Amino acid sequence: MTDEALAVTQSVVEDFSERYLESLGGTIETRGDTWEVTIQDNGDTELPAGSLSLLCGAGRDDDSTGEPLHPESEVFQRILREAAERRPTGKISIEADQDDVVIPQWIKQGDVEVREIQFTPYYDRTAIVVLFEVSIETVSEYQQELLRAIAIDHRSEQRLPALEETFLQMTSIPTNSSPTTTEFSLSRSDARSLLGTAQDQLMQSIQNEIDEVHNEASRAADAEVEEYRQLQQQRIQELEEERSKLSSKIDELSEAINSSDQNDRVEALKKRKEAKAEYEEVDSELRTLHERRDQGFPQKQEEIRKRHALDIRVTPLTVTQVEYERGELDIELVEQGVSRTVTLGYGSGIGTTDTVQCSSCDSVLSVDNPLKRVKGSLQCRACSSSNE
Amino acid sequence: MGSYDLVDVEVTHESADDLLDSLSEDGAEEDHLQSIQAVRLQAGQPDSELRSLKELDENSVKLLEHQVDAAYRALFEMDGKALLADEVGLGKTIEVGMILKEMHFRETDESVLILTPAQLAKQWQAELQEKFGLEFVCNYDDEFEDFDTHDYIIASIDTAKSERHRQTVLDRDWDVLVLDEAHYVKNEETDRYDLIDRLSYNYAFFLTATPIQNELTDLYNVVSLLRPGLFGTRDVFHQYFVNSNQETLVNRDELQDRLNKVMIRNRREDTDIDFTDRTIDTRTFDPTQKERELYQAVSDYVKGAYSQDQGQKLVLMLLQKEVVSSPVALKETIEKRLHEQSELTHADELESILDLIEEIDTVTKQERLLDIVEEARDTVEMGRVIVFTQFRATQRQVLDRLASEGYTVHAFHGGHSSSEKEQIVEDFEEEGGILVSTDAMSEGRNLQFCNLLVNLDLSWNPMRVEQRIGRVHRIGQKRDVFVFNMALKDTVEEYVLERLYHKIDLFQQSVGELSSILSRLEESGTSFEDQIFERLVNAGSEVDLENDFDAMAVDLQEQRELADKLEEFNNGVFEGFDLGESDD
Repeated sequence: MTDEALAVTQSVVEDFSERYLESLGGTIETRGDTWEVTIQDNGDTELPAGSLSLLCGAGRDDDSTGEPLHPESEVFQRILREAAERRPTGKISIEADQDDVVIPQWIKQGDVEVREIQFTPYYDRTAIVVLFEVSIETVSEYQQELLRAIAIDHRSEQRLPALEETFLQMTSIPTNSSPTTTEFSLSRSDARSLLGTAQDQLMQSIQNEIDEVHNEASRAADAEVEEYRQLQQQRIQELEEERSKLSSKIDELSEAINSSDQNDRVEALKKRKEAKAEYEEVDSELRTLHERRDQGFPQKQEEIRKRHALDIRVTPLTVTQVEYERGELDIELVEQGVSRTVTLGYGSGIGTTDTVQCSSCDSVLSVDNPLKRVKGSLQCRACSSSNE
Repeated sequence: MGSYDLVDVEVTHESADDLLDSLSEDGAEEDHLQSIQAVRLQAGQPDSELRSLKELDENSVKLLEHQVDAAYRALFEMDGKALLADEVGLGKTIEVGMILKEMHFRETDESVLILTPAQLAKQWQAELQEKFGLEFVCNYDDEFEDFDTHDYIIASIDTAKSERHRQTVLDRDWDVLVLDEAHYVKNEETDRYDLIDRLSYNYAFFLTATPIQNELTDLYNVVSLLRPGLFGTRDVFHQYFVNSNQETLVNRDELQDRLNKVMIRNRREDTDIDFTDRTIDTRTFDPTQKERELYQAVSDYVKGAYSQDQGQKLVLMLLQKEVVSSPVALKETIEKRLHEQSELTHADELESILDLIEEIDTVTKQERLLDIVEEARDTVEMGRVIVFTQFRATQRQVLDRLASEGYTVHAFHGGHSSSEKEQIVEDFEEEGGILVSTDAMSEGRNLQFCNLLVNLDLSWNPMRVEQRIGRVHRIGQKRDVFVFNMALKDTVEEYVLERLYHKIDLFQQSVGELSSILSRLEESGTSFEDQIFERLVNAGSEVDLENDFDAMAVDLQEQRELADKLEEFNNGVFEGFDLGESDD
């Protein structure tokens, strides 16, 4: 299960199914663990119109009638399939709420108090978030399925990892505040172009996983080539022995031909002919094998390599246009009675977009080296402690 | 470990056209959130939990934490290809049972092939049936036809690799392969290795307590069958993981990482198994003069008949065993034989044996049994004693005798239906008294409420003996267990008991330990029972016989030492490796 996947628990199954059935215009009457569902015949679903009893939870008895509703039940699988295909594109907006402003870690981890924050949005920005399914398969390893979210800004075409996080939080189950979705408003060509960028970014982000499987597959292929090479080497040795035996036999027969009488000579000649034919055969096989070995068994290697090749399939499953606001964030900081306001570029859903440097050492303030002083100038922990 | 760029990476980007087409479709916008969530839920499946566990009957099988963990890891973390390498006696069969049960529950087990050493095949069949309700056909069953006619098969690996079956086994795509005592395929130059190497399967579970038999290459071979390439090539494995004298492993962390992907090894000290003590009391009794004469007559008959016709081996063996169980058991067999075979060459001899049986008025073992149960009446809770015999006729007679003495008795044999069997065990628990059982007492039955067991007669198959004891002395038994063995002096039983069973400390071994000793011994193809019988009928004199049994005991002793050594060696190699329960 990847980070992007949601855990399929019974309560999630029930929560999701309830919302889905209601969005179809269905009604649900709950009686203990049994749901009496009525679905109208509106053509939006393959679930049977009319009444349907669903049995949820652990209280399923053998004698109760109705369709089971649990993570692996047929009804739930059908609901998931339908829901996934119903509206794979759409738009959500992330509005800036002063209460939800994310204070950067380099301030949070520091020793300076935040007195006030004020976000002033200046303009709306658009991004897309694509959920990709990636399957990695090879003969020696098992298929790996990944689900990954990639966010790309419309204007800059930059990846926005923080927005991916926000998107995943907003679409989790259960959510505190479900976002409202509206119609996707980017043009088809814009969407296609952003999808392409998202694909490129995706491939970069999963490179480590691919490398790991690639290494293992290569190792397996390598082992197979090596075993094959050893087998052939063994065969070469056998054939060499065989050839040397035949060679001695031919010599012996030649000698016999020279020294025996008519009848024996004819017999020996016959035998020598047979031995020579056999010798030729062995010799020819040996030559071919030597040749193939010297070239490194290219055909076999190619065959093995092909069989172990990694097959990676990337499928975009949903595309979400995300509207967010960009502007400036004023943060009033106080330290030992001295206050100072810092203004940073900020976006709803993506957090601060600027980095801030220590005025003494120029290093970028971070969670590991947070802000320590604001008096006079902004100073990092390392600098202020060396001054003390 | 070298650079690996041998294989290509092909990336296919599926078309986004369908997705983009949905831009122009009408529909409720709020459904988009549901689509995202549905996609994320689909990726969250399949949920990995052992869903079949709650279907298991707690009375039939008690699962231990390390077993559940092993089954879980093998299925979900190792993608269904695992080497289960627990130390002996920790229940690897149970782990596989759970795995197979789960696969059955998830319907991913259309065809399952379990390959075991010959002497363990029937035991596997019984355990899977009794503990997990899984029905398998064994290649020793009458109904077994071939490897393409059944879907759930337990077979000896040697049958599977035999000329007759090999191709059929290889022609099939198996869903699941289970290989017991996997160390027997360690040698890549054997037919066995070749068979496993060529078999086609989706999931595989290999079992062994000693993955390394002689040298560390064994580990490479066994693991490479399961996960080709995990260790790279043989040469790389040697250069990288084995020091030059072949005795120790180097780069252990890296090796452990890789082994962790495929091997699970639980150690006894890490589990919560705590067996109580087992006390063995072997009592040998002087037979009466008449019993002695009968024993001699039967032994002579068996010897003579076998030298003339070896085809009768099974029935002759039966007679030899029955004579020490009870005259009545012997009588039934002889009468049946006389009745069925009209032209018997030795009919007169058998008739005279019948006469000797008629003359016996005191059956020593049964009289002495009364002493034991009488003692138990005062010392054991509700006087509960289980008496085991191999023969129904003996069972009937013992039951009558005990009942006539006023004891509460219960009978248990293979003729009862399974609900009757349950009722019998329940009655025995509630009413106490004496349960007289044949070896049909199923392994799965929970008899921990009783802690005194009497072997009225003894099987020549040590596994059987241990299985009897195992029904009482098992996980969950809270009291010390007492086992009484009864034997008549100067009989085959005394030899088997004194010279063989006690020499290998049989009564203190677990089934797992025994199977590792016996499978080594039976590598030659002759079963333990056959070896006993052959010695018995071929010995020229009493002294010869004693010497023969001593020689067999020495063999056993050696095998036992070897098995111990091997386990010690494997423990040494894997010491410090965390191949058991995963930390997360």
